[in-house]
Amino acid sequence: MLLLVAAVLPRLFWDAGPETAPALRKAGIERIAVPAAQASAWKGVAGIETATADPQRAIRLVTPSVNYRANQATASRSPWINTNGWRFLRQPDGLFLYDVKGPQAALAAAEAFSYGANALIRTDAEGLGPLGDMLKLLRAVSADDLAPVADIGYLDDGTATSGEVMNLMVKSNLLFRPVRAPDRSLKINVKLGTKEYPLEFAKNPSRIAQMARANLTDDRRSVRVYGTSVVVARLTGAPGKLRVQLLNYDAAQRRVEGLRVRVLGEYKKAVVIPEMPTLDWVNQGGGTEFTLAELKTYAVVDLSK
Amino acid sequence: MPGAYPGQVVRVHSEKSLDTSTDRADRAAVKQMLAAGMKSLTGDADERDAWRRFISPQDVVGIKVNCSGAPKICSAPEVVGGIAENLVAIGVPASNIWVYERFENQVRTVPYAEFLPAGAHIWTAESTRGAILGYDPKVYVETSFFGEDDTRSNVVKLITDRLTKIINVPNTKEHQASGVTGCLKNIAYGSFSNVARSHQREVTNTKTFIGVLAATEPVRSRTVLIIMDGLRGVWHQGPFSNDAKFRFYPKVLLFGTDPVAMDRKLIDIIEEKRKAEGAVTIFERSRSTLGDNHDPNFNAFIREPGHVEHAGKLGLGVYDAARIQQRVVEL
Repeated sequence: MLLLVAAVLPRLFWDAGPETAPALRKAGIERIAVPAAQASAWKGVAGIETATADPQRAIRLVTPSVNYRANQATASRSPWINTNGWRFLRQPDGLFLYDVKGPQAALAAAEAFSYGANALIRTDAEGLGPLGDMLKLLRAVSADDLAPVADIGYLDDGTATSGEVMNLMVKSNLLFRPVRAPDRSLKINVKLGTKEYPLEFAKNPSRIAQMARANLTDDRRSVRVYGTSVVVARLTGAPGKLRVQLLNYDAAQRRVEGLRVRVLGEYKKAVVIPEMPTLDWVNQGGGTEFTLAELKTYAVVDLSK
Repeated sequence: MPGAYPGQVVRVHSEKSLDTSTDRADRAAVKQMLAAGMKSLTGDADERDAWRRFISPQDVVGIKVNCSGAPKICSAPEVVGGIAENLVAIGVPASNIWVYERFENQVRTVPYAEFLPAGAHIWTAESTRGAILGYDPKVYVETSFFGEDDTRSNVVKLITDRLTKIINVPNTKEHQASGVTGCLKNIAYGSFSNVARSHQREVTNTKTFIGVLAATEPVRSRTVLIIMDGLRGVWHQGPFSNDAKFRFYPKVLLFGTDPVAMDRKLIDIIEEKRKAEGAVTIFERSRSTLGDNHDPNFNAFIREPGHVEHAGKLGLGVYDAARIQQRVVEL
């Protein structure tokens, strides 16, 4: 059964009192979660919808970001991207918590939204504006009733090693779905401890991710992203429609000046949020390619035939 | 490439071309060198006839400079300005002259504008490092070296969109990865995006990648003339020039259309200088020479000067020294 993703907006987790409501309103934040002890104080505050949440019950997330590893990198080595996508995919019903500062709150919101994750975002005063702006953008994205697109079935054994393999596949835009048994509807299935993916190789999880990529082949990948090594794509689709969500993990530092996307399937039209044209559109070889002139933090491209 | 003069190199030397005490090039001497080199290469008595063999007034001409060692080592503005002057003299409108390079932060350290005719353009592909909008999304070489996810290297958009001819103006430099950086490396790595991915740790795939890129159309057929600026050179730690002790001053310009033959001669220039300085050959492949390259006997990479011979095998020119004719002009 395909898992359908509902558009879920993440909530600000806010443990300050209702005297801070004007700052939230100014930032455009309309929904918050507060500790139970604060619930009554926030009850009835105009313009702010309040729920209670216990952060102790939430799964802690890393700050979505990029580490350029300048102390060990050569010019060509890809930066390390701190993503949470694999955690969302492993525990789709989980409650998650970000602790992020400043502009990283915006990327956190976009990341959680793109995976349909139930997430709380705890941030500082500097993060309220960026978070509010991102939530406003996300509200403009229509509800997504499309199924996640995956090329790879990953038999998740729940180990840390498997977690790291999945993490590396997310960073590399290798679209996968955790499965309990091989799913023949997917292009390949990956299970550690098999002849194809021996456990001894899993000591280096990136080797497993690369082997999966080699077995899948780049030509059969549902999405490729060119021109940047800091963007992760998330795809959902239905016959004739494809949604491409793009996350710039370096957004706190800089925008991406141009990126090229290739998806499988020949699409003819695109609607981009935030609004911008697609450039150099090509339908070729069973795929569609286009360029976006920039990516600040997040963009969604709705493709249709 | 290899163009009208395969296997031929003209080497013009002028002691007056550069004052090493001030590091200033002599514009008049450079102009003389350009005239002598072009006439010797073509056999024409009139310099303008020589230029007309390669460029017509209708052409949109790219001058591919090298600024990776700028501002200390780069395609000298006196040389680039002299080339542009000759183009204008044969009827190319200044507005059809485009000096180009990949990185804006390097080019803006060089005063090209002061040496170019009004209306000529200075263009870079990347105003911000890594930006791809200056490259043609539809023309690329695709390969994976180390499992990198972005497997494409796209050609500079200016080449596919505008230029009808390219004049390649490299320098005489050693290169930590490719052994030397001359005609082939400048036109290849200088005209495509995402090429640094070919190096990782001590391994570099420059041996094959440089030739493949240089042989890619339309770069190959539009590059019609090469003028190698050897007024200054770098014999170690190239392509950069952070340490003055690794600079030297051949005071030469090399002319030709065959990048392989010219780079074969460049190898000789670099090897001769390194030998004189007591440094190991650029063909050294021992891992024992990997290390801190402040010592010229150590390097970060196993160099790949074999990229020149490999390019010859791709048909880009003549590598066999016995088949290369070099004419030397002393001014």
